[in-house]
Amino acid sequence: MKQYVRYFKWYFMAVAVLAAVYGGILLVHGSSDYGERRNGECMTEERVFDYGEVLSEKEESKLRELIEKRERQTGCDIVLVTLNESLKEYAREKEPDVPYGEFVRVFAEDFYDKNGFGYDKPVGDGVLLVDNWYRENDGNVYTWLCAVGRPDRKYGLDGMNHLLDNVYRYVESNPYRAYRTYINEFYHDMTGSGRNTVYLAGKDTMPFAAALIGMLLFLAFHWGSKKGEKTVTASTYVEGGKPRLHRKEDVLVNKVVAKRRIQTNGGHGGSGSRSSGSRSGGTHGHGGHHGGAGHHR
Amino acid sequence: MFFRCKNCGGNTVYSPEHKKMFCPHCDGTDSGEREAGNGQWECANCGAALEVGEYASTCKCEYCGSYFIMDDRVDGKYRPHWILPFQMGKERVVGKMKQEWKRRIFTPDSFLSEATLEEMKGMYVPFWMYDYAARCVYVGTGTKVRVWVSGDTEYTETSYYHVERGMDIDFDRIPVDASLEMDDATMDLMEPFDYGQLGPFAEEYMSGFYGEVYNMGADELADRAVKRVSEDAGRLLMGTVSGYATLRQERKDVDIKGNGVHYALLPVWRYRYRYRDKDYDFYINGQTGKIVGTTPVSQKKVLAYGGTVFAVLWAALSLLLHIVEVV
Repeated sequence: MKQYVRYFKWYFMAVAVLAAVYGGILLVHGSSDYGERRNGECMTEERVFDYGEVLSEKEESKLRELIEKRERQTGCDIVLVTLNESLKEYAREKEPDVPYGEFVRVFAEDFYDKNGFGYDKPVGDGVLLVDNWYRENDGNVYTWLCAVGRPDRKYGLDGMNHLLDNVYRYVESNPYRAYRTYINEFYHDMTGSGRNTVYLAGKDTMPFAAALIGMLLFLAFHWGSKKGEKTVTASTYVEGGKPRLHRKEDVLVNKVVAKRRIQTNGGHGGSGSRSSGSRSGGTHGHGGHHGGAGHHR
Repeated sequence: MFFRCKNCGGNTVYSPEHKKMFCPHCDGTDSGEREAGNGQWECANCGAALEVGEYASTCKCEYCGSYFIMDDRVDGKYRPHWILPFQMGKERVVGKMKQEWKRRIFTPDSFLSEATLEEMKGMYVPFWMYDYAARCVYVGTGTKVRVWVSGDTEYTETSYYHVERGMDIDFDRIPVDASLEMDDATMDLMEPFDYGQLGPFAEEYMSGFYGEVYNMGADELADRAVKRVSEDAGRLLMGTVSGYATLRQERKDVDIKGNGVHYALLPVWRYRYRYRDKDYDFYINGQTGKIVGTTPVSQKKVLAYGGTVFAVLWAALSLLLHIVEVV
């Protein structure tokens, strides 16, 4: 036991230090509190609008609890809307030339404004995620993240895309997890050092796999106790330490040169290009400035 | 033969720490006086019968712990030319093993316990030491290749060389163990011994240790030495031929001639550990402290250590990733 404790002393201490650092960070983040919500004109207390019916009652309830906590910590309204219907008619009625990808934007901005969301004031600080599960005529499913007030100022287009990327990693397989990610990552982004949270692929499986590999290497390293190393060489028992080389001849006898013509390839090259784009920001009615970014799948 | 302390009458032994005869009973040094044996295998100290192995040249009285040297087994054809006295005493060897054991973490906890360490034996192992002269010749053709490009043409120049080497090698005292009890491969791993401390045989060095006479004659074991000389000479010879892309051998001769053979005793400590009905032998070079042997593996410790490494790595990496994510 003494040997065991002595052997793992530094390992245990390293884990304890990491745990303390992580605990400290959580404590700092958790302690931020923006006090009571000051928007008395908001039309609803609801934050989770599961019109698309992709969540169970229990999941909705858990998301509401999480949102309540995170709103106090971020000082922002956090709203989630799921849909499963075409927004073409709705959006084109408001903006006749709006492209498919922005139907959700029209809806999101309208929804935010109509309900008067905002932690500090109507159409104030807050975010809204609209995830429409309906496949529009162009074959895509669209999502829009709408940011108003402080989040709008904090996030750039890259930041929003980053957050949506993280949501999209889970949304097909586990929508609840995807929406939790949306809430938590928004919280980390708003309360952290200002940088966007880093998404680490395989955050849950990678440590397990790495630990497993580490353990196997450790076992292999310590298991293979060799009987002993051979510590003599060919010259160990040679008198004087080295042999006497009395003949050493390297005589050039012949030289042959072969030639080969190098085939040059004058072939044709070609290149193509792909482009992608997204849209960010934009002014909108009701006195609010909506930043936003959309994704499709 | 028995070495008796002239101060207290106890049995004096050779002490590697003091580099002289030492009496463990009165701490006297150089106080041992040689008493010739009476030709019978009985303890000159307590009179008990001595159990002497077939090839043993020394033995220890099981009753009083005195060491005896069999006169007729260190004399005549059995008298060694040389002996390399123990340079490391039991305490130093145990310290070295404990240090080694720290690294071998899956070794059972009872390994190197006081009780089993009692059984650690210092023994002089019989070796034949062969001198050989090797005359080596190598003849072959080597090629060197140079490639360059000029314009749209690639040139490959191949130069052919006549390669010839002649080398004389004198091998001095190639050791081959002459004990049937000792595993040959293990004894080979004990090497090298520093021959600078090899000296003329004297019985005093054997008191306090076990010993054997050679179990096989020099002629019987010469093949092992010749094989080794042949391999080493070949390696040294080919070590002088380098820088060629290819080498085609035309002739390679290694002519070996014996130059003499000597009988010597070399010091080895043996520690035998029994674990789950199996014996694990450890051999320690009594001069250099080099350890040879495989430790048993405790499944309990493998599970505990492996499990802890896994848990610690998992926890550390998970925490690290979480920290990276939120800062």
